[in-house]
Amino acid sequence: MINSDIIRGHLESVILKLIIEKDMYGYEISNCIAERTQDRFNIKEATLYSVIGRLQKKDLIAPYMGEKSHGGKRRYYKITPLGLAYYEQKLTEWTEIKDVLETLLEDKS
Amino acid sequence: MKKIDNFVKHTFKNIPKEGKEDIIKSVSEALIEKVEDLIEKGLSEQEAIDKTVIEFGTVEDYFDNFQKLEKKKKRQKTINHYKNDLLFSVVGSLIIIAIVLFVNLTYAPSTLWFVIPSIAILYWPLAILYNLLNKKENKRGDKDE
Repeated sequence: MINSDIIRGHLESVILKLIIEKDMYGYEISNCIAERTQDRFNIKEATLYSVIGRLQKKDLIAPYMGEKSHGGKRRYYKITPLGLAYYEQKLTEWTEIKDVLETLLEDKS
Repeated sequence: MKKIDNFVKHTFKNIPKEGKEDIIKSVSEALIEKVEDLIEKGLSEQEAIDKTVIEFGTVEDYFDNFQKLEKKKKRQKTINHYKNDLLFSVVGSLIIIAIVLFVNLTYAPSTLWFVIPSIAILYWPLAILYNLLNKKENKRGDKDE
C-alpha cells in the first residue's frame, strides 16, 4: 500500500468526486476508494473522517440522515453547489500539476 | 456499541477542547455505521468491532493532514502581526524622540539631556524586534523537524 503525500494533498478532491457521483456515507467512501484502486491505496479512516469534517465545515458537502434498507440510519453526504465549484477548480489544478510533472519526468525522445 | 464510543473517546481524549465533542460524535457515528455494515456482511459483532478499531488509525492520522497547514498559516499571521508592531513602534519612538529633541533644543540647548529618554524609548522597538526574531527562529526550527 502506498502512502504518498501527493495523494494526501488531493484527498479532498477525491472525496468530493465520489460524493458528486453519488451520495455516500463514510464507510462507503473508504470502501469505494479501496475498490477502485484495487487496494493499492487504502485511506485510513481517521484521515477520511477528518477530511469529511473539514469539507463539511467549509460547506462543500452537506450531511443528511438517510434510511438504510433494514432499520438503521446512515449519515449520508451530498455535494453542495459550492463543493461542485471547488471540485471543478481543484480538477483544473490537478490536470495542470499532472501535465507539469509528466513534462518534467518523462524521457525526452 | 459502547465499545466503539469508548474507543473513540479514548482516542481523542487529548485533543483541544474546541470541537472535541463534535469530532467524537461524528467519528463514533461513522464507525458504528461501519460496524453495522460489517455485521451485515457476516462478521460477528466482536470481529466487526475489532476490525473497525484496527483499521481506524491513530489520532495523528486524523490531524496530520490539515492541522500542520493551519499551524503554519497561524504562525505566518503572528509574524506579520509582529512586523506591523515593529513598524508602529519604530515610527512611534521616532516621533517621541523628535518631540523630546525639539523641547531640548528650544529650552536648554546647552545640555543634551534628550539622549536619556531617547535610549529608554528605543527599548520599545528593540523588544518587538526581539520577539519577531524569536518567532522566526521558532519557525525555522519547526521546519527542520
